[in-house]
Amino acid sequence: MLRLPTIGRALAGAAKGSLAPSNTVRTAVRAASNMVEVFVDGKPLEVEPGTTVLQACEKAGIQIPRFCYHERLSVAGNCRMCLVEIEKAPKPVAACAMPVMKGWNILTNSEKTRKAREGVMEFLLANHPLDCPICDQGGECDLQDQSMQFGSDRSRFSEGKRAVEDKNIGPLIKTIMTRCIQCTRCVRFASEIAGVEDLGTTGRGHNLQIGTYVEKMFMSELSGNVIDVCPVGALTSKPYAFTARPWETRKTESIDVLDAVGSNIVVSTRGGEVMRVLPRLNEDVNEEWISDKTRFAYDGLKRQRLTQPMVKDASGQLTPTTWEDALTRVAGALQSVQGNDVAAVAGGMVDAEALVCLKDLLNRLDSENLCTEELFPMAGAGTDLRSNYLLNSRIAGIEDCDLLLLVGTNPRYEAPLFNARIRKSWLHNEMNIAMVGHKVDLSYSYDHLGEDTSVLKELANGTHPFCKVLSAAKRPVVVVGSSALQRQDGAAILGTVSTIAQNARTSSGVEEGWKVLNVLHRVASQVAALDLGYKAGVDAIRRNPPKVLFLLGADAGCITRADLPKESLIIYQGHHGDLGAPMADIILPGAAYTEKNGTYVNTEGRSQHTRVAVTAPGMAREDWRVIRAVSELAGVTLPYDSLEEVRSRLAEVAPNLVRYDDVEDANYFKQATELAKAVNQDLLAAPLVPPQVTVKDFYMTDSISRASQTMAKCVKAVTEGAAAVDEPSVC
Amino acid sequence: RISSVMASTAASRAAVSAAKVVKPILSRDLDEAKRRVRELYRAWYREIPNTVAMFQLDITTRQGRDKVREMFDKNKHVTDPRVIDMLVIKGKMELQETIHIWKQKTHIMRYFHETQEPRPADFLSKFYRGHDP
Amino acid sequence: MAEYVNLVRRAFGQIGGHGGVRGFLLQLFRVNDVKIGTLIGDKKHYFFGRHRWVIYTTEMNGKKTLWEVDGSMVPAEWHRWLHCMTDDPPTTHPPEPKKFLAEIHQFNVSGTSQQYVPYSTTRKKIYEWVPPKAGAQ
Repeated sequence: MLRLPTIGRALAGAAKGSLAPSNTVRTAVRAASNMVEVFVDGKPLEVEPGTTVLQACEKAGIQIPRFCYHERLSVAGNCRMCLVEIEKAPKPVAACAMPVMKGWNILTNSEKTRKAREGVMEFLLANHPLDCPICDQGGECDLQDQSMQFGSDRSRFSEGKRAVEDKNIGPLIKTIMTRCIQCTRCVRFASEIAGVEDLGTTGRGHNLQIGTYVEKMFMSELSGNVIDVCPVGALTSKPYAFTARPWETRKTESIDVLDAVGSNIVVSTRGGEVMRVLPRLNEDVNEEWISDKTRFAYDGLKRQRLTQPMVKDASGQLTPTTWEDALTRVAGALQSVQGNDVAAVAGGMVDAEALVCLKDLLNRLDSENLCTEELFPMAGAGTDLRSNYLLNSRIAGIEDCDLLLLVGTNPRYEAPLFNARIRKSWLHNEMNIAMVGHKVDLSYSYDHLGEDTSVLKELANGTHPFCKVLSAAKRPVVVVGSSALQRQDGAAILGTVSTIAQNARTSSGVEEGWKVLNVLHRVASQVAALDLGYKAGVDAIRRNPPKVLFLLGADAGCITRADLPKESLIIYQGHHGDLGAPMADIILPGAAYTEKNGTYVNTEGRSQHTRVAVTAPGMAREDWRVIRAVSELAGVTLPYDSLEEVRSRLAEVAPNLVRYDDVEDANYFKQATELAKAVNQDLLAAPLVPPQVTVKDFYMTDSISRASQTMAKCVKAVTEGAAAVDEPSVC
Repeated sequence: RISSVMASTAASRAAVSAAKVVKPILSRDLDEAKRRVRELYRAWYREIPNTVAMFQLDITTRQGRDKVREMFDKNKHVTDPRVIDMLVIKGKMELQETIHIWKQKTHIMRYFHETQEPRPADFLSKFYRGHDP
Repeated sequence: MAEYVNLVRRAFGQIGGHGGVRGFLLQLFRVNDVKIGTLIGDKKHYFFGRHRWVIYTTEMNGKKTLWEVDGSMVPAEWHRWLHCMTDDPPTTHPPEPKKFLAEIHQFNVSGTSQQYVPYSTTRKKIYEWVPPKAGAQ
């Protein structure tokens, strides 16, 4: 409880015990004997002691209207909308903050309850502007809905309304503070989930205001979630302002691919254009939050797009051409090469369908040179053992652990939702966190053990003082960042970390199914590519440069023209003109993640798939179709014509890839550690520094977010202050 | 008697179950039905030059008559007088619409399927044509 | 008799007024509905509808108009007179100067390369990538 911020602490005192069951943190199920019997509208109901009135009603299937109460936040109890009558109680009680007592009869629709709601609603509306027609929340506004359902049908209000000055809290969130009803959900979100104490309240009573105290940016990688949390239109999305209404958009349930977490999202589209991205509930992955990059980088999908095939003409200028021409050229180039003369590099946002097609195509040309841009040490067990490269404990599994050791990673910016889980566990489960690597702000406190690799060595052979803590842990978890494994001594680091994990495992005596070693990836396609047997890293290509190089969405700039002989041909297939396209001889336009049915495997090995929300722009096609068409022209036709057939091929190669929403377990740590011991590599002295250290490194990491203007504005606002970003004057 | 495959399965079922007792539509036997077909064919044959002129079609009389023959040949296999009668009635309706110029030029030219493109069947032509054929 | 003499004189006058035999023949072939160029003036001899006409200039706005004449070559102020909207030719009653009136009359450019073509003012939904110029790298 010590870690709970001020509001939570104050409330925890007031309604002791109401907090713990209200959140979804896993707690041992209490014995059924001490259940409390209550009545909801006369119907008997058995609930655990400490359950609030609101939760008891929820269990009985009755929704109590609320504004300030949010199931993932601490209870504030300040909106008073959830007032209900308890039989024989003198006054109506706030359902969200009141624990039930034995034998209570909760009346959710009595005369007194309805009168109380109507009165509260009248007070809320007294100072709420009547600008629903121009409000972006219109149509999905809690206040609008509940005033229709519970409010009075006429107004007795003839005085003037209060007005509050709007605040500039950055290029992502638009504030219209006059609309605020002071539910303080945003304040609680910022301090509890996001872990930044930027938002707060000033003043009392009529003058109460939400704000950042001084004019500054709300600097959090999860800041966009306050838009969803806000029950009224006080906090809305700045890029989405005045662009669409919720009832005119078409919603497509999809998956985010901008990081390796694989957040579940809903893509709202209108007229073939992505209007916004919202989170979708998935308790095992992202709960109901998404990171700012996921939410706001969608405008990158409309810029810098490859919309037609291009080939280099005689002068070396890329010129648009037809599919027939481009594909014939590619097929001609592929026909003339065999074996090691052709190679492929897969980028970070490629779907598993395209990966398996490309692999089949190159295998038919006798080539095994299929690489991913992201490096992973191949020495020792390498990628042969699946447990070696997964986040084995799973994202939700972090809530069960009591000691977390982070090695060379900055989860806050590499996987914001994973970091939110760690913070949640730190806050509610008293989890201890230690870190080896560059000291960064993770929004929670941790033991910093140092940033040198010598610390790892000491931890492995048990000479470090922290080893005592580590061996005392009941359920330890070690997370190593993928960037730490991409150094020269990556194999040695993986070996050392797996020794640490194995030692911690034996000393803790935890059950067989518990996994300690975890790898946190940074790109969405990596796990699927390794599952399909791609080689990690482009070293093989550098060592024997091919005559034809196929770049499949490879935009990290791992390989350049300089690495290849002069006359070699580079084919780029992808959706953005970023780093890969300018050096290509032939460009084949592909589809972005909102435009295709693609399978992605997140860092924990969970296979999920995106759905088509809009059609690909111009002449762009789904990636696997392009490769399939190339194969036909090159005379090595791949035996599948439809998505179903490609997926059945996927199932042949790696069955876990088509078992959607399922995590395939992998558990060969002992063998991996044994194999890692055979690796003859020394740790380098260089400190472990993850590539994303501060918040400004977070926003632009891939071809979509680099093309996004919103993300560019964020970087500018972070470096130069929120006022530096000029916004359109319309409010 | 009915022996071969017929255009309409429903009609065939009805005809098989009650071939003898059904009421004739126009013709009592196959010969009479054939006579009606010949009459209709002659009427069409005579009408074609007129049609080509009236509708200012960009085809020759020969092409028009070939098309008429093709349309008749399409139903060559039908041997049920009731089905034949029905087809003759439909043919007469078409003829009437043509003679009275209730049809327009495009309706006549529809017999020739000039503007109809065959749907792509193989993967590559589907790929060239659009996103998701 | 005098009537016929008068007719012959007018016939010769026509030839003289059009610049000799060559000019007359040229004019005969260039005959069109309305023409401008030089004000010939009101001829009292001609009946209404034929009493006002123009002879088009052979060059206008930099374009050779010897054979390609167009009704829009008539300036607005002459147009009024030509179509009998007024009896006062602009030579005696110059038009009120207005700032929207063109200094030099322009004829209609429809159907030429200078014609106005409407264009879309809506924003593009997708901005495509423009490959860098070959020499720039």
